[in-house]
Order: sequence, then C-alpha cells, then structure tokens
Amino acid sequence: MEDKIAELMAKVAELEASAGVTNTMFAETYYYLTIPLMIIIHAGFLAYEMGSSRAKNVLSSGVKNILAFAFMIPTFYFFGWWVYWGFPTGLTLSEGPMGISGSEYANAIAWGWGESAQYMGPNIADNASGVFFGAFALFAATTASIMSGAVIERIQTVGFVILAVVLGSFAWVVAAAWGWHADGWLVTKFGVHDFGAAGLVHAVAGFFALGVLINLGPRIGKFNADGSSNHIAGHNMPLTVTGLMLIIVGFWGFLMACVIVPGEAWSWYGDKMSTIYGTPITLSALSFNILMAVAGGVIGAWIWTKDPFWMMSGALAGIISTASGLDIYFPALAFIIAFSAGVILQPCANWLERRGIDDAVGAVTVHGTIGLYGVVMLGVFAAGYPALDIADAPTVTLFGQIVGAVVFFLLGFVPGYVVSFILKKMNMLRVPEHAEIAGMDTIKVPAQGYPEGIVASPAAAE
Amino acid sequence: MGFPYDEAAWSVVDGAMFMGWGTAMPGVYTFIAAVICAYVLWAGNRSEHKRFTKTKK
Repeated sequence: MEDKIAELMAKVAELEASAGVTNTMFAETYYYLTIPLMIIIHAGFLAYEMGSSRAKNVLSSGVKNILAFAFMIPTFYFFGWWVYWGFPTGLTLSEGPMGISGSEYANAIAWGWGESAQYMGPNIADNASGVFFGAFALFAATTASIMSGAVIERIQTVGFVILAVVLGSFAWVVAAAWGWHADGWLVTKFGVHDFGAAGLVHAVAGFFALGVLINLGPRIGKFNADGSSNHIAGHNMPLTVTGLMLIIVGFWGFLMACVIVPGEAWSWYGDKMSTIYGTPITLSALSFNILMAVAGGVIGAWIWTKDPFWMMSGALAGIISTASGLDIYFPALAFIIAFSAGVILQPCANWLERRGIDDAVGAVTVHGTIGLYGVVMLGVFAAGYPALDIADAPTVTLFGQIVGAVVFFLLGFVPGYVVSFILKKMNMLRVPEHAEIAGMDTIKVPAQGYPEGIVASPAAAE
Repeated sequence: MGFPYDEAAWSVVDGAMFMGWGTAMPGVYTFIAAVICAYVLWAGNRSEHKRFTKTKK
C-alpha cells in the first residue's frame, strides 16, 4: 500500500512538473507573439505617415519613422525598463507596498551590467524577463511613433529622434510606473484604472506632440495671412488608410500584452488571467469590447466626415476611448462611448487647427484628446470598481480618473514643450525653409520614392 | 452603475463583472447601440441621396 502511495505521489509530482513546463512555455510564447503583432503597428505607422506626406517628402518621413523605432529599443534597454520599475511610488524611488518597485528593486533586475545583467540577457532559468522587456519596448516604440506622424514634413531627423527617446523611453514610462503598476501611486492613492493605456500611452504621446508642435510651427503653406488654413493632402490616401488598418491589427497584440497570464511565480492568479493591476480579465472581454469599439468609432466618424481617413482614425479613437476599461465595459456601452469619440473626433481636430496648430495626421486629437476622454469616461461609468485585488483596495472614482488625466496630460505636454524648445534654441528642431520647399527627399535621402513617377500602365491588349 | 457586487472586492466576483450587470442597463445600452446603428444608416442614406440630387445634371 505504501509503495502504491509513493508511486502515485511520484506520478503526481511528475505531472505537476510537466504542467508547470507547459504553463511556462505558454506564458513565454504568449508574450513573444505579442511582439510581432505590435511590430504590425509600426508597419501601419510607416504606411500612414508616408501616405500622409507629399510625394516630395515620402521617404524622409519613412526614414524618420524607422529610425525612431530603432532608437527606442536600445534606449528602453539602457534606462527605460529601469524607469518603469524604479519610479512607481513617485520621485522618491522608494519601494511600494507590493515590493516590486523602487530603485533597489530596479537596480536588481533592470540594468544591463553587474548582477542584474542576468535578467537582461539569455538565461536558461528566466523565461519571462526578455519577453516582458520586448513587449514593453514595443509599447515604448508605439508611444514614440504616435508623435511621429504629427510632425512630418518639417522636423529635423536627429532632433526628432531625441524627442522620440524622451517620450518613448522616459515620459510615458514614468506615466506607466505611476498609473500602470500595482505599486503606482496613482493606483494605490487614487484608484486610477487605465487597463489599455488610453491615458498613459495615448494621451501622454498626444500631448507631448502638442508641446512639440507649438515650438515646431506649421508647414509652409498651411495657414494664410488671415489665419485661415489650407488642407495639405498626403500623396497616397489608400496607403494612409491601409496603414491605419494595420495599426488596428497591431492593437490586438498591444492589448494582449497588457494581460498577465496565470500560473507562473510572477502571475497574480494561478487559475485566471489578470490586468497589470492584478484584477481579473479574460481575452473574451477584450474580444467583445475591442470589436465593438472599432465599429462604434468608424460609424461615429462616418456620420460627419464620410472620409476614409477619419473613419479609420475613428476606429483608433474607438479603441482609445474605451481602452481604460476594455476589461470591464459592457460591449454595447463600449460601442456607445466609441461612437461618441468618433463623432467628436474631427470637430476637435478642427478646433485645434483654428488655433494655429498644424497636426499633419490628427495625432493630438486621436491620441491626446480622445485618450483623456477615455480615462474620464471610465470614471463616469466604473466608479466603485476595486482598483487592485487586495483587502481594502482603493476604488475607481471620477475624481481619481480626472487626477490621472491631468497627470498624464502634464507628463506628455511639459517634456514635449520643454525639450522641443531647447532643441529649437539649438537649431535642431526645424529644417531650413529652402529644404522644406524643395522637399526633404531631394535634400537628404539618397533614394527616390517614385523614380518613374506614378504612371498608369498601358491599356490591356484586346 | 459601477461595480456590480455589494462588496467592493474582487474576491466576491464569480461570474459576470461588467458595468451594469444585474440591472437593466445592459439591455438599455444594447437598445441605444442598435438605435444608433439604425439612425446612422437612415441619416447616411439621406445624406447620400442629397448628394445624388445636388450633382444630377
């Protein structure tokens, strides 16, 4: 009998070990796959920025976009990852109540040297750090790319890359540490809930872009002497619209990466997925709500604009307006909120343009204004939800969400304005007038976008 | 509105956890969303036909 029990115990242990390996492999693969999905966002940004540029600037817009992506990865490796783990409790860099934050913790896991380097490179005993880093690095690159579209056709390359690094590897990371971390002070003190990063990614990036645009100024020919504006059409609307659709595809990876899978030592639960705050979520919730939000945003934008650019921007606005609560919205409510975001989209962009801001792709409105709208809307509808899964957890409130919205606005706008102002003083912000008029491809890109022009093929033979 | 359980704690959640669960609100939202779709189709059709009329030679 005892032999039988021992044999059964051994079998159970073997099964448990096997299940553990399967779970670990699943968890690692899950996050690994979010990375190429998020790279699709960048394919989308590349296409829509190039499509939104005039033919004379198409390649320089591409160069700028690709280079920002490339610089985001190493800078996020050098210090962005450390900022996320070091800053949650605020500027004191002290440890938070969950014990997974503060300078000491960040020093132990997020530097590429010394003892902590074991978590920043290949390690047979660590299946998590690399894929988490990869997912976050792609969040960072996405954030920087949001600003990229707004400033096309007149910004200097290196000045832009510096701005992208400040935004992607620092400003939004501080917002994430404060509002997207179980130890974040916005969460523990104000119950801020921003599951899909409407505020801490989109609003931060959108208002960072606004700060830059104020110093950068409009493209030549955008505004007339009387203050009225001219529409500067991009050279390829189909490319722009396809790019926006690719961003929507990539969003599935982005939002999937906002989920913590169960069953690992670092998981919140053994048996269910959670948000980054440790509150429960299912991928089914995302599936219901993302789809309804995309649909609502498109329909809302169509009713006023009838323009495919704004319709696909409406799809983005739909997701962004509901991103804070994709884990807990009822799908029809997500549709209604997304619809309202689609409706207000173009009027908000026009309002900004009337104030002399030349945002070439509407990024300030789509990401900034709608991001804050989404953060506040969650406070309206989700008041009373526990913000963490702990005893006496803080709850979501309208006041807390407004505090979060204000902080996200400032974390975007202030560094965007200050750094671009310094770059302007150093003559590193705007290209010279002659270069802008000639077209930046001619001035600085050793290749041609359309060496044969855009020619129609001869009619097919009868 | 808000959290659909009496106690504001995730430990008591064992099923639906969306806003309005257990009240009439999900039905209300679904009705409003359906009305929006129908209205937009009606308004869109009217707007399109106005354009047809305006551009008729």
